[in-house]
Amino acid sequence: MLDAVILEKAGIPAIPVITDAFGSTAREMADLWGVPGFRFVMMPHPLASLSPDTIEHRADELVDKVLQLLQEGQPA
Amino acid sequence: MSDTTTPPLPEGEACVPVSVSEQVEFCYARGWTDGLPVVPATRLLVDDMLEAGGYRPADVIANMPSRKVAVTAEKVAINAVMAGCRPEYMPVVAAAVKGLAAPAFGLHHVASALSGPTIIIVVNGPIAKRLGINSTNNAFGGGERANATIGRALHLVLLNCLRYRPGISDRATFGTPGKMTCCLAENEEDHPWEPWHVERGCRADESTVTLVAASTMIQVWNYGNHEQLLCAIGDALSYLGSIALLGRTPGAVVFAGEHAELLRGSGWSKRRMREFIAEQTARSIADLKRTGRLDGAIAPGDDAARHYAIDTPEDLMLICAGSPIGALSMVLPGFGSSKTAGRSPVIRIEGPRTA
Repeated sequence: MLDAVILEKAGIPAIPVITDAFGSTAREMADLWGVPGFRFVMMPHPLASLSPDTIEHRADELVDKVLQLLQEGQPA
Repeated sequence: MSDTTTPPLPEGEACVPVSVSEQVEFCYARGWTDGLPVVPATRLLVDDMLEAGGYRPADVIANMPSRKVAVTAEKVAINAVMAGCRPEYMPVVAAAVKGLAAPAFGLHHVASALSGPTIIIVVNGPIAKRLGINSTNNAFGGGERANATIGRALHLVLLNCLRYRPGISDRATFGTPGKMTCCLAENEEDHPWEPWHVERGCRADESTVTLVAASTMIQVWNYGNHEQLLCAIGDALSYLGSIALLGRTPGAVVFAGEHAELLRGSGWSKRRMREFIAEQTARSIADLKRTGRLDGAIAPGDDAARHYAIDTPEDLMLICAGSPIGALSMVLPGFGSSKTAGRSPVIRIEGPRTA
């Protein structure tokens, strides 16, 4: 989340992908950085145990949503 | 932080607690404590703390850019008072806060990790003896005000200044008892080698703190010779469930008196010991697959192929503390999946009472 907020502040569009267990943590970081409406995509937890194939599949599932949010942009 | 037992604060009216119990409850109600009662931070006590550290209230002890916070001396002093510190502990607490801010420590990685590591404050130099920071019997176990309150102050800073709140930004699955407080001094008198801070470029008469994040503490009991002892320590640093096994986060080992004496008698240098321990952190690829630490079926050659939990022996912190008796050492495996976090550089303690 922090990386995405910093990238956006540097003018580089970014949409972070967060596992749903960390939703509150992501929102807290956004609040801390003064961007409470910062948009991110959530996916099921956990991530660390997924096989490379499953991660590829997960990425395929999420990519359209990420692209859509990238095109819409973060709130001003 | 959930709170179902503390009465709500009155809204829309001045709340000036008078009795000690009211003051303690006042702090609880605001979520300022770690679960234990805190000492109410009155102006007088905070000013004494600042004076002992040689700080003005607005002095910035450390900038924490990831948390958008510049931690001032006044905020550190308030938390040190709440933790129960004596004023003369302030320079140590301030140095520990600087350790949190060191990029190498990786604050957010440590403080938000699921593995919920203990942050251990290791104190070196003459200030330890002057302040009574325990380095001997029960060094991790409590009983000394300096150890208990300096460690607690750092964790209150994490909670109150850096907003690492359980369940929100502090995502520890279990946490560890050491998250409440953990501070010890290195025993520099009964020591087979030069102390940690001298090894890292400080003078022996300088006082320092170093922060180490450890996922757990493992006691190694061993009455063997020095090689057998170091084999057992390598095993503890590389157990198959260790979260640091693949990430190779630097760990630490604390040798108590009997083991320190054994190692002194071996004639081995610290470097040789580190390299030997690192060699003992080998696990077979077959074992890593058998326990799900690596994906895939066990293949021919996996029993012989090796993964080393420590591949840079020079990163391994070796210090001495604990009782003179007991064939025990304490192994502190690293906390996470990255080599790039979990230990601060050696931070020199500054302040008017360190001379």
